[in-house]
Amino acid sequence: MSGSVPYRNPGWAGNTGEFQLSEAQVRGDDFVGTRPLAGGHASGSASYPYMLEEKRPDAPLFEGPYQDRLDKILTRYPDKRAALLPVLNLAQEVRGHVSPETMDRVAELLELPRAYVRGVTTFYTMYNKRPVGRFLIQVCTNISCNLCGADDVMEAFLRYANTEPGETSAEGDFTVVEAECLAGCGFPTCVQINSRYYENVQPLDVPKICERLRARGR
Amino acid sequence: MAESSPAETVTLTIDGRQVTVPRGTTLLQAAERVGTRVPHYCYHPGLSAPAMCRLCLVEIEKAPKLVPSCITQAADGQVVHTQSEEPLAMRRGVLEFYLQNHPLDCPICDQSGECKLQDYAHAEGRVHGRGREPKRVFGRDDFGGDVVFYGDRCVMCTRCVRFMNEIEQDPRLTVVERGDRSIIDTFFEEGLEGTHYHGNIVDICPVGALLSKDFLFKQRAWDLDHTPSVCPGCSQGCNIELHTRDNLVQRLRPRVNLDVNGHWMCDHGRLDYEWINRGDRVEVPLVGDGREARATGWRAALTSLLERLDGAGPVRAVVSPRLANEDLGAVRALVDALGGGEIVYRSRRAPAEVPLKGFPKLARRRDLEPNVNAARLLGMERVGGDDGTGGLAPFAAHGGVLIVAGDELADQPPDFGERARLYVYLGQHPTAAASRAHFVLPITNFAEQEGSFTNHEHRVQRFWPALEPPGAARPGWLVLGALLAERAGEAAPTRAEVAFERIGAFEGLTYERVGTGGAPIGEDRALPAEAAGGRA
Amino acid sequence: MAYPYASDREVRVISEYFGDPEARTLDGAKRRGRYKGLEKALSMSPDDVVEVVKASGLRGRGGAGFPTGLKWSFMPKNYDRPHYLCCNADESEPGTFKDRELMRWDPHQLIEACLLASYAIRARHAYIYCRGEFFETNQVLAKAVEEAYADGIIGADVMGSGHEIDVTVHVGAGAYICGEETGLMNSLEGRRGEPRTKPPFPAAAGVFGMPTTVNNVETLCAAPHIVAHGAEWYRQWGSEKSPGTKLFCVSGHVNKPGNYELALGFPLIELIEDVCGGMRDGNALKAVIPGGSSVAIMDADEARRCALDYEGVAACGSMLGCASVIVMDETTDIVKQVRRMAAFYAHESCGQCTPCREGTSWVTKILRRIEEGRGTEEDLDTLIELTTQMVGTTICVLSDSVAPPVQSSISKFRDEYLALIRRGERVGAA
Repeated sequence: MSGSVPYRNPGWAGNTGEFQLSEAQVRGDDFVGTRPLAGGHASGSASYPYMLEEKRPDAPLFEGPYQDRLDKILTRYPDKRAALLPVLNLAQEVRGHVSPETMDRVAELLELPRAYVRGVTTFYTMYNKRPVGRFLIQVCTNISCNLCGADDVMEAFLRYANTEPGETSAEGDFTVVEAECLAGCGFPTCVQINSRYYENVQPLDVPKICERLRARGR
Repeated sequence: MAESSPAETVTLTIDGRQVTVPRGTTLLQAAERVGTRVPHYCYHPGLSAPAMCRLCLVEIEKAPKLVPSCITQAADGQVVHTQSEEPLAMRRGVLEFYLQNHPLDCPICDQSGECKLQDYAHAEGRVHGRGREPKRVFGRDDFGGDVVFYGDRCVMCTRCVRFMNEIEQDPRLTVVERGDRSIIDTFFEEGLEGTHYHGNIVDICPVGALLSKDFLFKQRAWDLDHTPSVCPGCSQGCNIELHTRDNLVQRLRPRVNLDVNGHWMCDHGRLDYEWINRGDRVEVPLVGDGREARATGWRAALTSLLERLDGAGPVRAVVSPRLANEDLGAVRALVDALGGGEIVYRSRRAPAEVPLKGFPKLARRRDLEPNVNAARLLGMERVGGDDGTGGLAPFAAHGGVLIVAGDELADQPPDFGERARLYVYLGQHPTAAASRAHFVLPITNFAEQEGSFTNHEHRVQRFWPALEPPGAARPGWLVLGALLAERAGEAAPTRAEVAFERIGAFEGLTYERVGTGGAPIGEDRALPAEAAGGRA
Repeated sequence: MAYPYASDREVRVISEYFGDPEARTLDGAKRRGRYKGLEKALSMSPDDVVEVVKASGLRGRGGAGFPTGLKWSFMPKNYDRPHYLCCNADESEPGTFKDRELMRWDPHQLIEACLLASYAIRARHAYIYCRGEFFETNQVLAKAVEEAYADGIIGADVMGSGHEIDVTVHVGAGAYICGEETGLMNSLEGRRGEPRTKPPFPAAAGVFGMPTTVNNVETLCAAPHIVAHGAEWYRQWGSEKSPGTKLFCVSGHVNKPGNYELALGFPLIELIEDVCGGMRDGNALKAVIPGGSSVAIMDADEARRCALDYEGVAACGSMLGCASVIVMDETTDIVKQVRRMAAFYAHESCGQCTPCREGTSWVTKILRRIEEGRGTEEDLDTLIELTTQMVGTTICVLSDSVAPPVQSSISKFRDEYLALIRRGERVGAA
């Protein structure tokens, strides 16, 4: 990385000196993360998933507020098949990944063939086919970020987590993967950690970001 | 183009030849009319066409780019080139991509010799590949049932997935992953076990990705002889081919007949062929006194039989519904000539039909024998249980002329027929229950003779000899026909066709009319569908 | 305002409230003039709305540049069957980051646009197909939709007009190919996001087998402004064939990367030198990708004379695409970046069509080998032939997208390839 780029508050794009906004204003904290588990208005019930730190691979699916959200999702499509992606999102939100058992349950719920559900699940990269750490760190290494040093950022995350791409760190905190363009090209390097975007990330920022994460909820 | 034309047909030019086809015909089908087979993988006439293999691209003059001929409908005035420079170059390119990760393990691949990748690459591909990169490895997977999957050979045409979705309608197969990681799989360990038509995915796989475990490493495809035939597995009468080598049936494959089985057949029928290859055969006529038998020639045997036929008392006969129409007709004629008598057959029946949901004309029928309907048409009656045994008590103890044709009598004791004044056993296999027979005459099975079956909807369908009969075995109709003719002083039938035409029940039909696709007998002679109850 | 950098060269129509958090709320949005265009549209007939958009010359901003009004006019002109509007917010073309900004700063602009377009094409349900990764953005949008429902803007009686239109925020699950309109429809139906063969075209049989129009977020966002102010007003910017304004997503080696809304036809070099504050560290310009990763790379000379509209970029041998300007300075390792783009296509290929499934990964492997110093000169010919074989042979154009970056880089930066091949040297490998 070039040394002349001014150091910015790590993790979000806004404090550029052109005009001042707080991180909360940029992210829209009044809006983000406040949606109820039950889904709020049906129109947005499929706008999830939350990617939660706590993974409960054996938790029951579609109970309590999640049942409500499921019911709302089903009202928004002319057939049950169309609800498959939102329902898989919901299942992953609860369990952290989509296991064969989860696929089976979803297939039964939506009256779809099990093999079909597997075919759809494996088509999409956001469904974790195996368990991931508390924090799924997706580093964009595509061209725009790559031009600005994304490979070094990836390397820095791997070094901090002391793990290999796609693997989970020893304490189960971090899974670091290379991601395709996250559409944050103007704010390189763009990193998605669980649900949240971290922008303008430089290798130097990595330990600070990770320490903050690791401290959470422990 | 003349879209609004009300005509039922369209006329176009393909490779310089004009052809008129029904409206709605695809370019690929139209090309076949002029003798051009456009290469294709994903298209199969019995399935939907996703147009994803990109191999059937052809050029239409004035069209902006090449079109997939499998889904493009022929239109009036089109000028189509399948062999011009552009489509050939394009197909050469596409074929190169097919070979990029293909293991090229033809020497150990069952499909070799009947592989569309071999054929197309040889016909239209590059002489030398340019791939220098390491190949992707998927390995092998047991799909359960009779199917084993070689992932590396797969061309991702998804015919198998679509067969299970659209035709069998038990969607066990899917494409998992995406891009160059995509592969055909089932739901983890679920497999194909318990499905009844999965053998068809092996047939429609254009390459060696899906193979039959039964056939695995058994024969090379180019060594097999193909003979058109009819499946003897049930009364559906699926049109099949017998693939034979070394005078053995090596496998069965469906033969297209859109009126009967489409492109398909069931696994029960497909895998039930070992009995045809049985080595324990009666090979020469045996003439005995009810205790001891000696081998003899046909002339001696039949002459001797003819002498004893008349005056031996009332006649009773047991036949097998695996015998051909011609054989059953000859038994009927013989019994009638001897003054008439009861003829019965025994047959296995399944508790339920197994329909093919996406092609409802086809079902594995309840009757598990191919020719029960001919037997019924000829006034023969079903006895015994649904396992094909029992029901023969009055026959075992019959005191007059007892004729058994084709039924192996496996459940009957050695003293079967001991009271008969004349016991004639025409069969394929030596059996204890024939030990008291005065005549044991070797006859052929359906794979060894020409003949026909009558299926569940009274459609007569022909089959052809695929195997050499063992020893002196001859078709039942030939043996009995000779006997009857000699007795009546007529000319004996020497061809199955003649034997067929002598059967009153099939009057009006000829072999020519039946052809290779079969023909229904007249409405007036057909029996109501469900009258096939048995007498225990 | 602008975000994160401002420039007075911009013409801000749809990006006016970037960096203005109050625009996210319904009250704030209304005070800023949102829903005025919709109100006017509802007082017109659907066909008149289509005519205005047609007259404005608005072209699809998702990459293909198809005239939007014309697309809308393909929809059946009756209510016999349900019609659907799909807003394509599955933004994932490398270098493109405009839709995310449009949705998170000004969600009501998009909602208004969806309602307006739905009205024009006689749809009763609009699905906004958002990228699954846009968690934060989707939350902003979902809350805005909820507010609009509560206010009676969306629902059984849109703004008191008697028309019923629903809006649903739908999220994908990570697949670039779902940004292709037929792939999007398959995905929305709960299938693998594999593109469909056309015909049938979406306007005849689209999502759920019903007449459907798929429009990009940016395209839709322009529509309310056009209806509110008229087609001629929109034509004051840009050229005859490329009227209006366009968001340019500038990324890479410039001092001020970001989204800049400019009149079409803006000179590329001024965008870099003036609007974006010049090249990072004062380095020399080496190459520009003007329209996202699927278009041809321009060298510095071409970039200097290029005007940013559909025709101007085409004249320089590339495509405007979705106007994602990726700027590369002299330190850039072109081979590595081309390989990275090829790897992207290999990862995102749906796998249906063989040329794409096998070709994208093959090309990537060859590029990787060259990058590692194990290439040959014949490999360059092979790359050009392979990518040529991948053009026009597949259902969608993902496969075609590999050819421009690979072929243009080989023709314009052949020396870099040869240096790697001959000496294993790499530019900028310090």
